[in-house]
Order: sequence, then C-alpha cells, then structure tokens
Amino acid sequence: MAKYLIQRIIYMIITLLIIISATFFLMKIMPGSPFNNLGGKITPEQQAFLEEKYGLDEPVPVQYFNYITGVFQGDFGVSFQYENRPVSQMILDRIGPSAELGAQALIIGAILGIILGMIAAIKHNTWLDYSSNIIAVIGISIPSFVFAGLLQYYLAVKWQIFPVSFWESPIHTVLPTIALMIFPMAICARFMRTEMLEVLGSDYIELARAKGVSNNSIMFKHALRNALIPVITVLGPMTVSLMTGTLVIEQIFAVPGIGEQFVTSINTNDYPVIMGTTILFAVLFVVVILIVDLLYGLIDPRIRITGGKE
Amino acid sequence: MKNKNWLLFLLVSLVAITLAACSTGGTDNNTEEQEQSSEGEETTETSETQGEKVLRISATSDIPTMDPIMTEDNVSTQWIDTVYEGLYRQAPGGEIVSGIAKKEETEVSEDGLTYTFHLREDATWANGDPVTAQDFVYGWQRAANPANGSFYGNYLMSGKIKNAEQIFAEELAPEELGVSAPDDYTFVVELETPVPYFDSYVINSNFLPAHKEFVEEQGDNFSLTPDSILANGPYKMTSWKAEEGWELVKNETYWDAENVALDGISVKVLKDADTRLSNYETGNIDRVTLSGSQVKDNQTSPEFGSLSEASTFYMKMNQESAEKSEYMQNYNFRMALAKAFDKQAYIDVVYGNDSIPANYFVPAEFVEHPETGEDFQQGSDLLAYDVEAAKEYWTKAKEELGFEEVTLSFLSGDTDVAKSISEVMKTELEKNLEGLSIETVNVPWAQQLDLMREKNYELAVSGWIPDYKDAVSFIDIFVTGGENNDVGYSNEEYDALVKAAKTELALQPAERFEALQQAEQILLEDAAIAPILQRKTSVLAKNYVKGLDQLNPFSNNYSFKYADIQK
Repeated sequence: MAKYLIQRIIYMIITLLIIISATFFLMKIMPGSPFNNLGGKITPEQQAFLEEKYGLDEPVPVQYFNYITGVFQGDFGVSFQYENRPVSQMILDRIGPSAELGAQALIIGAILGIILGMIAAIKHNTWLDYSSNIIAVIGISIPSFVFAGLLQYYLAVKWQIFPVSFWESPIHTVLPTIALMIFPMAICARFMRTEMLEVLGSDYIELARAKGVSNNSIMFKHALRNALIPVITVLGPMTVSLMTGTLVIEQIFAVPGIGEQFVTSINTNDYPVIMGTTILFAVLFVVVILIVDLLYGLIDPRIRITGGKE
Repeated sequence: MKNKNWLLFLLVSLVAITLAACSTGGTDNNTEEQEQSSEGEETTETSETQGEKVLRISATSDIPTMDPIMTEDNVSTQWIDTVYEGLYRQAPGGEIVSGIAKKEETEVSEDGLTYTFHLREDATWANGDPVTAQDFVYGWQRAANPANGSFYGNYLMSGKIKNAEQIFAEELAPEELGVSAPDDYTFVVELETPVPYFDSYVINSNFLPAHKEFVEEQGDNFSLTPDSILANGPYKMTSWKAEEGWELVKNETYWDAENVALDGISVKVLKDADTRLSNYETGNIDRVTLSGSQVKDNQTSPEFGSLSEASTFYMKMNQESAEKSEYMQNYNFRMALAKAFDKQAYIDVVYGNDSIPANYFVPAEFVEHPETGEDFQQGSDLLAYDVEAAKEYWTKAKEELGFEEVTLSFLSGDTDVAKSISEVMKTELEKNLEGLSIETVNVPWAQQLDLMREKNYELAVSGWIPDYKDAVSFIDIFVTGGENNDVGYSNEEYDALVKAAKTELALQPAERFEALQQAEQILLEDAAIAPILQRKTSVLAKNYVKGLDQLNPFSNNYSFKYADIQK
C-alpha cells in the first residue's frame, strides 16, 4: 500500500510538471499582449517597459525557468489584469464560494441521482422507471444555465421566494445549487440504473435470492456496492469541475467564484493567473483520481491496490 | 442494522470524495469565513453611520485597480474619481469645476507654458493631513516614473509636461519632471508645448495627488484593500470584497462634504446583464444599465433613459492592407463602402436603442466654439447612407480599378455582439454593392487589437472615447504615421492643420477650433473612415435617483459627488 502510494505520488508530480510546462508554452503562443487591451492608448515604449518590468522580454525558456523556480518557492506571481494582486491570494479568495457551491451540488445531486437510479432499476419498466429516465434525459441534455435562468425568473423575480443573486447567506446558495446539481444527478441516475440492472441480473444475485436472502439485503449489501463503481468513476472528475466553478452559473447568480476568473484570464492574457488556475485544476484532478482509485479498493476488495508488478 | 450501515457507507464515501478533493478548499473556506466575519463587522459599522441615502448600483466587473496611475478601464477610473480629488473635477455632463485647486485663481503664463494652480487650504486626506502642493508633485512624479509602469502616464505626459519624455526614456530622473511646489498651496506645472485643453487634461487620474508617506508605507500593498487607500475625495471606501462588490461612505473630512448629498454607495458586481436587470426589478439596486436586447422591452418604462456619450464608432478601411491596399486607396471605392450600409440597421442590431446614426467623426455636443459657443459638430451628409450614390461610386471604382468581383475580409471580435456586427455589415454591404463579398473574421479581442496594430486587416469597426475635452483627441488619430492611425490614411493638408492647431494656433482658441473643424471636413471628404454612429447608453433608474442623468464625455462616466436620493 505504502509503496503503491509513493509510486502514485511520483507519477502525480510528473503529470503536474508536464501539465505546467505544456500550459506555459501554449499560453505564450496565444496572440495578444497582456498590456494592450486598450486599443492603442499605450505607447510602444510603454509596452516594452511593462514587458521588461514583468520579465516578459526574456526568452520564453528563461521565463519558464523563472516561473517554475517561483512556484517551488510558493510564489505564483502577481496578476496583470488586477494590478499587483498576488495570484495565490486571488485564488484563495475565490475558490471558497466555488468549492462550497460545487460540494453542495455534488453531494445532493449524487445522492438524489443514486436514489433515482436505484428506484428505476428496481421498478424496471414501470412508470417510476420511465419518469426517472425522463428526468435523467432532461438533466443531461438541457444545459445548467437554462435551469438557472428559469429558476431565477420564477423563484426569485416573479414569486420572490429566493434572492435573485449575490453570495451572502445559505439561502443565497439554494438556487445556484439546484441549477448546478441537476447534471450530476442525471448522470448518477443513468449510470446507477444501467449498472443496477446488470448487477441484478447476474448469477450471484440469483444465488442470493435462491438462498433466501432478504430483498433489502440483496439490494444494499450485494447490488448497490457493485453498481457504485462506475458512478464513483464519473463522480471523481465531476467533483473537480464542479468545485472549481462554472462560468455561467457564477455570472447568473453573481457568485464570486473562480470559474469566471479562469476564462477572463485567458481572454486578457493574464499569464500568472492562467498558470495559477491551471495548476489548481491539475492538482485537484490528480488528487481526486488517486482518491477514486483508493475508493475502488474499499468498495470492491477484488480490486487490489499493489505497487509494481504482481 | 446492516442496511443502515450500507447507507452510512454510501454517505461517507460521497462526503469523502468531495471533502478530500477539496482539502485545499477546506482551509480556504476558513479564511473566507474569517474575511466574511470581519466584513460583517464593517457593514454593521457603516450601517450605523449610513442614513437612508445609500445609492445601490451594480458594476460589470470587480475593480481592476484602485491605484490612480495604473488605471486603464472604466470601472477603475470611476471609483478612483469617487474617492480621490485632483486639481479639478467634472460636474455632471463634463463641466470642469474647482477641485483641490481653485479654478478661477489658476494663472496661465502668456506663452501658455506655465500653469500656476492655487490650492485650497482646507482640503485634507482622510487621516487629517492637509493636501499640499508637494502631494501633487509626488503624485505626478510617481505617474512619470517609468519604474512604476503607469499605463497612461507616458501617453498623457510625454511631449506635454516638461521633461516627461526624457524621464520615460530613462534619460532623466523622475524628480526632473516640470512640476514644483514653491509653497504648500501653490503648484506650478511647466509644459513643453501649450496645451489649450489642459483644464480637462488634469482630470485624468494620473494627475491626482498622492500622500508620499502613506504610499511608501504601503509599498506593494498600496490600493489593494480599503485600508491601503487614503482618500481625499467625496467618499471613502469601507469594504471591498473580491468579485462581490464594495461599499463607500461619505468622507466627512472632504473639504466640500456639505455638498455631498449621499451617505454612501453600495456596489455589487453583476456580470450577467439579465441578472442586473432582475436585481433592478426586484428592488435590489436603484439603477441599471441596459444591454441591447433589454432596451426594447423597457423603452416605454417611465424609468427608462438614454444618455449621450462622447464616443463615435466608424468602419475602418485599411489602405495599407497586404492584398487590398490598391482598392482601399481608391477614393470611389471607399466612398462606395462608406455610403452603402444602413447605419440605423447597425444600431438596431448592435445596441437596440436610440444611438444616433452619424456621418461625422468628432461627436456632437462634445466641444463648443470658444467665441460663438456653437457646437463643433455641424453635421455633414457627405458620408450619409445613400444606396444610389454608393452604387455610382462603386461603378466608377470598378472602371478605375478594372474589377468585377472583389472579396474583402471584415475583422471583428468573437463575442455575440461582435458577431452580430460582422453579420450586419456583411449583409448590408453585399446587398448594396454588386460583386462585393465580405468574408467575416471573428477572433478574440486581444488578437483583434494585434491584427489592427499590425495593419493586418481589411475592414473593421472601431470606436474612440476621448481622454480629454478637445476635438484634437479625435482628430490627432489620423495624422500621417500617427500611432493610432491604423487605416494608413495620409493627407498633407490634414496634417498641416493638425500641426498648426498644436503649435502656432495653440494660443488662438477660435482659429484653432476652426482649423480642427476643417481637418475633420477633409477627413470626411476623403472618406478616410466610414462613420457609423454616436453611441448612447440606455438605463433604468428609480425616480428618486438624482444627478446621474448625464454622462461625462471622458474619464469617469459619472460624478457621484453630485448624486442624490430624494424619496
């Protein structure tokens, strides 16, 4: 186990280095400059000066080396767009709301999705199955901002049950959470239903039934456990994308999250912020994938976690 | 029992995934909470001092910077103007009035090269220190110091303020800038060349005073939080939460505090146009700026208003493009393009409001004749939309250039609005000019700017917002070889007029004004650009909001000092 973990962590570091390097060099070939988004009101000398100030006049490999050195010292640089604000501070300020919203949406969405999927599988080919299927298809095919718009219009503007937007109290998180949880709920329901059906038709369930094991015990102890594996697989990456924020939902509900920052930084060539957010995403991703792999073993002991060859 | 265990396992594993994945997020949540609680204290503090007169509005983005010398955008400029005060300030609509300097006492030397400003003695910083001429000297030197990397400093100061150009070239020290403080309340500026519009020039936030001790004490943190901003203007910032919003309260130590009617301003960051409108409709904000599609639904509301801007938009026809320069240099070809599209159709698609179709370049109601008071813009129909005339010019161009069909590319951005711009221009031009095909090129904003700067485009739409109140802010763009002349236009007569306005006519306001009018006439006669519109901003505002019904022509959009709520 320990050997396996160490090996995985080494791989993770290598993966991260590759991601950081690739992003850095790709970012440098983007057109435009971080300092001239004004449409001609900066003189060329001034632009040259700013580039020198931020070390952008150096050859790209030198910039890369400087950046990596900084990162290892915990220095992610300062934003160009938001004058002088340290990137690490910007990320810390904004990851909170995104993570909170994402976690709420994920937990509620996943639980509801798993329940829906199970009901659909157990009551296969009944109206319960069909309606759960319809919910799942709607959730997958309609983008979250449509739900967001509808929720906001009816529940906030028309009936004024919930606040329109802002990020102030738990009640403010209700609408964005609902809008955001529909997709994970639908995905979980679909996977759960398919897997449950497959598991329920397998030999060992037949055997359990033949042995007279109670229905509840079959469902929860034998079927659910095995059916969870694919759900966990999709939930892992989804966790990262939900918790690192969603541009549209954040804009519609005025959530001060990080999703929007990622997009803006690319549009404004704000190099340090692009790098900072990419590193954040990448780190979360590799960590989640590791956790998912560890969870497999926990759920299904047949999946052995071992290091090296067997 | 066993069943319960399994449900528990299910829950635990779900929670584990989410929590473990966000181990960094967890600690962030803590800092977030701490911040929120400290913000909470601040809000209670302010709500005690705030009466009922708190204006609640929205902003389209967080404030990129509160450092006066680093601004390059609307939002920063607006809020810097609200917490600071320079020599002068803008009254609503753009009239220049006294600020820290008493305008009526300002002395200008006969050669127009030396300005002596007399400062009021009762102006203080929020910490109680007096605002002195030394603060202006330091503030201006700070903007001119190349090491500080001011975005606008070089653009505004070089060639105007004595020695600025050499300072930016690092040939002279910032202390050599032509500003001095013979005593605490006298501030003297020496210019390289007369700047007849200097009154409005000094409105720019690069010309604000700075409290040397405070700025140096804050170092890199200067202007990053409300605590690292030292106000001397009508309002003080009390809270500023990244991406959420900020709050200001009336600055009781401001010298003219008795004329500041509001007790405070609360601003929320709302990036989505529909969310802004929803918040207005539910009464969370008192005033909202409308985007294109929202205008139609609200035009009949008694709360609707349209505010004139001093900015014009025009189509650029690049005479130095790699492939089509021969065509673009042809007068008839340009005339045909300039007259062939319906300006109203463009406005309807892009803004949906009552922006004015324009056949001119320098905006109407921007500057007036110094003697007669007549508006600079007397209108012109030289480049008016006229399909018949456009077709005639087009036929002549075809004869002269010997072509039957031609394809031009139209450069625009990649946002929805930018795409609708390229579509409407393509439709209009192709419909009215036979044999013309328009190929639309939609790229991100930064790339669009690059391509324009390199003159690597054929057609594009641009707008210009002035930096000070003078026609030369517009006319200067298209002089031969000018930095922003990205259409490759060149006319000796035009150049001569602009040069005269800057030099020998600089001290003869009437003649200078007329020279600039002539220059604009030449620009239009040559069809150097194809004017489209003068923009208006459409808003909804509750009837109790006062003093915000006019936009300033340049710099900060609104003068919140004069805003009021009268319920």
